[in-house]
Amino acid sequence: MTALLVNGQRVEARAGDSLLIAMLRAGLHPTGGGCLCLGGDCPNCLVTVDGVAYTRSCQVKAEAGMTVTRDHAGGEPALLSDQATWAESAAPVRHIHCDTVVIGQGESGREAAREAREAGFDVVTLDARDGQHVTGVYPGPLVVAADGGGRVLHVHPRREIVVATGAAEIQPVVSGSDLEGLVTARAAAELVAASIDLGRAVAVGEPPGELPSGSLAGHFPLGHGGWELVRFEGAGRVEAVVLRTRGDGEAAEERIECDTAVLGLGRNPRNALARMASDLPVRVVGGAATEPELPPCPGEGTVCPCSGVTVADLDGVWERGFHEMELLKRATLAGTGTCQGGVCLPYLRSFLLERGGRLQPAFTARPLNRQLTVRELAAGAHTAVTARSPLHDEHLRLGARMDRAGGWWRPWTYGRQDDEYRSVRERVSLGDVSSLGKMAISGPDAEAFLERIVPTRVATIRPGRCRYVLMLDERAHLLDDGMLCREADQDAGDRFFLTSTSGGSGFFELWMRDWAEAFGCDVRILNQTASLAAFNVTGPQAARLLARAGALELPAFGRHRRVRVAGVECRIVRLSFTGELSYELHHPAADARKLWRRLLEAGAAFGVQPHGLEALLRLRLEKGHIVIGQDTDYDSTPRRLAHEWAVSLDKGDFVGRRAIVRTNKQPLDKRLVMLRTDDPPPGSVEAPSAEGAAIHDGDRYAGYVTSDTGTAAGGGATMLGWLYLDAEGRLPREVTVDGRPARRVDGPTYDPQGERARAAVDVASESPENVREFPVTRLEATDVAAGAPAERPRLRRLEATRVSATPGALDALVADPLWPATALAFRTAPDELLVTATPDFEVAGDPHAIVERETAFSYVWLDGTTAERFLDRECEWRRPSARPALAQGEVAGIPAKLWFEAGRTLILTPAPFAAAFERRLTASLAEVDGDAE
Amino acid sequence: MNEFTERQMKLTWRAPKESYDVVIVGAGGHGLATAYYLATRHGITNVGVFERGYIGGGNSGRNTTIIRANYGIPAAVRFYQRSVDLYRGLEEETDRWLMHQQKGILWMAHSEAAVRAERMRAKLNTEFGAETEFVGPRQVEELCPQLDMSGGGRWPVLGASYHPQGATARHDRVVWALAEGAMERGAHVHQNTPVEGLILDGKRVAGVRTAAGNVAAGVVVSAVGGHVSRLAAMAGLRLPIRTHRLQAFVTNHYRQQFGPIVASSELFFYASQTARGEMLLGAEIDPQPSFSYRSSHDFVQHVCRRALCLLPFMSDLRVLRQWTGVCDMSPDYSPIMGRTGVPGFFITTGWGTWGFKAIPAGGEQIAELIATGETPELIAPFGLDRFARDRTMADRGSAGTH
Ligand SMILES: Cc1cc2nc3c(=O)[nH]c(=O)nc-3n(C[C@H](O)[C@H](O)[C@H](O)COP(=O)(O)OP(=O)(O)OC[C@H]3O[C@@H](n4cnc5c(N)ncnc54)[C@H](O)[C@@H]3O)c2cc1C
Ligand code: FES
Repeated sequence: MTALLVNGQRVEARAGDSLLIAMLRAGLHPTGGGCLCLGGDCPNCLVTVDGVAYTRSCQVKAEAGMTVTRDHAGGEPALLSDQATWAESAAPVRHIHCDTVVIGQGESGREAAREAREAGFDVVTLDARDGQHVTGVYPGPLVVAADGGGRVLHVHPRREIVVATGAAEIQPVVSGSDLEGLVTARAAAELVAASIDLGRAVAVGEPPGELPSGSLAGHFPLGHGGWELVRFEGAGRVEAVVLRTRGDGEAAEERIECDTAVLGLGRNPRNALARMASDLPVRVVGGAATEPELPPCPGEGTVCPCSGVTVADLDGVWERGFHEMELLKRATLAGTGTCQGGVCLPYLRSFLLERGGRLQPAFTARPLNRQLTVRELAAGAHTAVTARSPLHDEHLRLGARMDRAGGWWRPWTYGRQDDEYRSVRERVSLGDVSSLGKMAISGPDAEAFLERIVPTRVATIRPGRCRYVLMLDERAHLLDDGMLCREADQDAGDRFFLTSTSGGSGFFELWMRDWAEAFGCDVRILNQTASLAAFNVTGPQAARLLARAGALELPAFGRHRRVRVAGVECRIVRLSFTGELSYELHHPAADARKLWRRLLEAGAAFGVQPHGLEALLRLRLEKGHIVIGQDTDYDSTPRRLAHEWAVSLDKGDFVGRRAIVRTNKQPLDKRLVMLRTDDPPPGSVEAPSAEGAAIHDGDRYAGYVTSDTGTAAGGGATMLGWLYLDAEGRLPREVTVDGRPARRVDGPTYDPQGERARAAVDVASESPENVREFPVTRLEATDVAAGAPAERPRLRRLEATRVSATPGALDALVADPLWPATALAFRTAPDELLVTATPDFEVAGDPHAIVERETAFSYVWLDGTTAERFLDRECEWRRPSARPALAQGEVAGIPAKLWFEAGRTLILTPAPFAAAFERRLTASLAEVDGDAE
Repeated sequence: MNEFTERQMKLTWRAPKESYDVVIVGAGGHGLATAYYLATRHGITNVGVFERGYIGGGNSGRNTTIIRANYGIPAAVRFYQRSVDLYRGLEEETDRWLMHQQKGILWMAHSEAAVRAERMRAKLNTEFGAETEFVGPRQVEELCPQLDMSGGGRWPVLGASYHPQGATARHDRVVWALAEGAMERGAHVHQNTPVEGLILDGKRVAGVRTAAGNVAAGVVVSAVGGHVSRLAAMAGLRLPIRTHRLQAFVTNHYRQQFGPIVASSELFFYASQTARGEMLLGAEIDPQPSFSYRSSHDFVQHVCRRALCLLPFMSDLRVLRQWTGVCDMSPDYSPIMGRTGVPGFFITTGWGTWGFKAIPAGGEQIAELIATGETPELIAPFGLDRFARDRTMADRGSAGTH
């Protein structure tokens, strides 16, 4: 015996009882009344089970300890459960791939499954009787079901979905149809089989097939030559069925006393899943495939028990002009309840047919067919991961408060805002800009391609030089900005390095590849965003600091070069975003921590202090540098941004050129300008940020502020904002911001001539004893093949080489590999190869090939069974069955590459996501939700 | 009878005439509001509204009904503020229960960058007349005690912009009340009568070809949704519109316990509790253009996952139904209203994911344009010619959201 609590009352259930049967056995009707179907079709058995309302008690097994409330009679269930802690976790999911899924295992479903199996197909069957409640059939194709054991099944059939859900029994709609003691014919048979006493039972319509003889006190067929159901009588529970001879309005009513009325009123196909499937490969068989039977138009009673809609309600709205099925539904809410019209739809159609003389189609079938809970529906989904720079832990160690920006965790501040700012302006500081997008581009058409991608002239960027560039869309609206470097080493042919802002790199890579294809340019593109870390070493002492770290040959302003700093190979680019002397050090992500620590060490003598994003935003603002997305909008053309200097209209076509030419003919309407306020409000050290504040030119509204750090550095504040030209087409000079006078300035307020950023440096004077030599330890490539699955899976950074070359050249390379036999080589794209070996090979067939050390990935080996367990839950797509095999796609919401060998599986994931991946992997194996921390 | 059964409105259907002074294509909120304001404000009632399906069967009957005015540019704030004001008086004006509820909308910030963006939204909107203030975590919690302020440990609520005028109304009833108001003054609405072509007289649009025959018109207003590009093409216009799917879902109904509208631009979802008691959730458009009305599991799955971070109480609520609308998106995320350059042909489109709130003001302004022949100042910035003139109305306050 199993004991559970129903409204505080102890109820004993027998093995195999559904919750409904257990309740009925105890004499408890789940809701206020209504005909029970035991098939999951009606809303008359809804209860709250362990805090989950709207649960069909006929569809769940009675389990020990369940707490059940019959709350629907007493109003709506509470929105907020009284349990103090809410589970923020999603239910676990199982992805199942097959050829055919058969929904429903009645006779026709079993038959369909057998046939498919005999034809050699891989078949999955789902049936509500086994606790598998299918909620929807979706494009994919995808069939989603709860499995009754707390899991959610995502079934991915390759070939066919068979809907064999059978038919639902038509419910009675007459006066008294909401009494207790009414059951459908099929339900009656089931209740008797469960040895529930029906008392004096009277059958109306088709009799139940499988009742023991003698258990019916009477049987009244309906329809032609038979009877017509008039009403049920009783107080709370049915006491009598009232009938009269069909078609004879004069005939006297007959009242037949009973304890239970058994109703065989006909059937309607359960075809909602098939209807919502429309163009998916769905086949409907058995009862689900039958034509709907229209019951007679109801005269009175409740048509839609879910929403409590009566025939009188339908008439009311009909008479006031609501004649379309959808309008009838929306005006009464009939059909919008838990059963989604299962009960009322046939009656709504017969009602409309009778009143309007036109048979209207059923309303659209929409998911969800079975109401899963929010946590069940969330199964298998993850929130977006935020990338981590290789220095994430270093920032935390230094007390940084990390913030999400552009899809990355960035140090917002190290808790010393003012000193962070001052260290840049007065001493030297480090800033982590690893999140910048980074692209290597080479190939015979590299220059021509870039000429068409950026509005700046590329041809005049000489080897070893770099230039600030914009990237526009076809409407000439600014998409992104960055710096473009032409490689110094001309032996390599035309080769460039292009950065973009954080967050944009994924989009940007696709955008470039798209254009390369559209223009038919012969280029290699390698996204090195995660491969390379980058720091900004900035401040008047930046060169001295780098010199002490061994870098004596630093590039001049506007140039870049490869330099070894503190033993790490770097590309040093010299431009400036902060306004101070700045060197951007791009280097392999695997070396970032070593380099960062050594630079902090070497900088101690200069009082080095890393700066966070907050300080950076203030530093750049004083120089008037824009931030994409903050200062720009969907209409930001270079002209409006006052960036015409970054556009060369006389160089040939580029993306956005035509729009610039066209819009240049229109008068300018607004411009992004720098403003300067001189008088911070008296008595306040910190003025609140004016971002969003309106700018006025006298009384005229003239724009708004997009950037303001709010702190009044040096007695005033510098702002960026949109300023509208006045009626005469002039930009006002004197304006007010928030009532405060402000002046438009033509250049940066800080170091207007840019002398600090361009300062000549002389590190030769750095005394030799201060210059430290650092040993160069070249990491060997990871011997990944020797890796063994670990007890507790941990991700480690992979040492490898990545190659971008023509497909033909890569084919040849792979056929005749130049790396040790122990190394693994993954062809990740037709023009891309990842090899777990050091880059001492060349690609013979392609002089423009890019071959770079690659530390952008982390890896873990899982043994075969663990991998299957993990991937069944976290991998939505079909895995290859061959071994060995490479597959790529999203796993646990994170991009991954999978290498399947017999008995073990290697997983590679971008290192910025490694921590999240490891967390999700561990949680998944423990069957908990990996998103929660 | 449930309390939501419609008991007041009366829709009167009449046979189509051969000619109308004004033909409106599409009986969504905007088409019907135009007819309503033509009748109530200008006494123009020889008006025929032609609808492909049933009234409100497009996005006007599929949206998440959020009404607010806190947008991103002054022209938009002014326009939407007008609509918010009209909505507030609409129940009284029509004497119909539209389930209009002012509940306030909170826009959460989970990062410093978002705090700055929400502060900016607050400042900008207040400045332009749509009262919005930045509130700290304590106040957020007071306004919506059901929030998990830690965001599931990963999306902490650092503050929010709060727009007290944020409201909702029952979409169907808004549509019906406008239809009723127009019909009872003599306007015709014809359901199941798609407009299949435009009748041209030289360059001028002089009528429509419908499933029920040709109908002459003094002027034709396109208020179609979802397929506006096709209709406009008949007048020789190419619109800068792309159509994308937008989905939403509701749970079963529960006791009224959730007060405001809550939105998060970093978690990409928004939620409110309907008058019926359902939790109603929406998010952003599908990135891929499409005319499909098919709902996806991916949508409900990911929105549920993200919603759990902020609203873990939803964990055990059951989701009842999901659906899809197709939204006409303009490149600058602002509507396109007014003249088209083709004589006799007006347009109201580009309502994207944000046009329910605009129904009263949109209808009022188009009606004024038709009645007076002058483009009202409120909608002058939103003309179709702005794209050719390089005067787009880029509005970050509206991009892809309710
Ligand atoms: C899921 C979702 C959520 C949304 N949430 C919000 C929200 O919270 N707040 C908000 O303000 N906005 C929201 N919106 C947007 C809003 O619903 C729409 O912008 C608004 O309803 C547009 O109204 P409309 O009258 O222009 O178009 P519709 O209501 O789509 O009406 C256009 C009508 O034109 C008819 N039609 C089309 N072609 C023809 C033809 N050839 N002949 C005759 N008739 C035709 C259609 O059948 C339709 O009835 C949401 C949209 C969706 C899909
Ligand atoms: S009876 Fe369930 S929706 Fe009408």
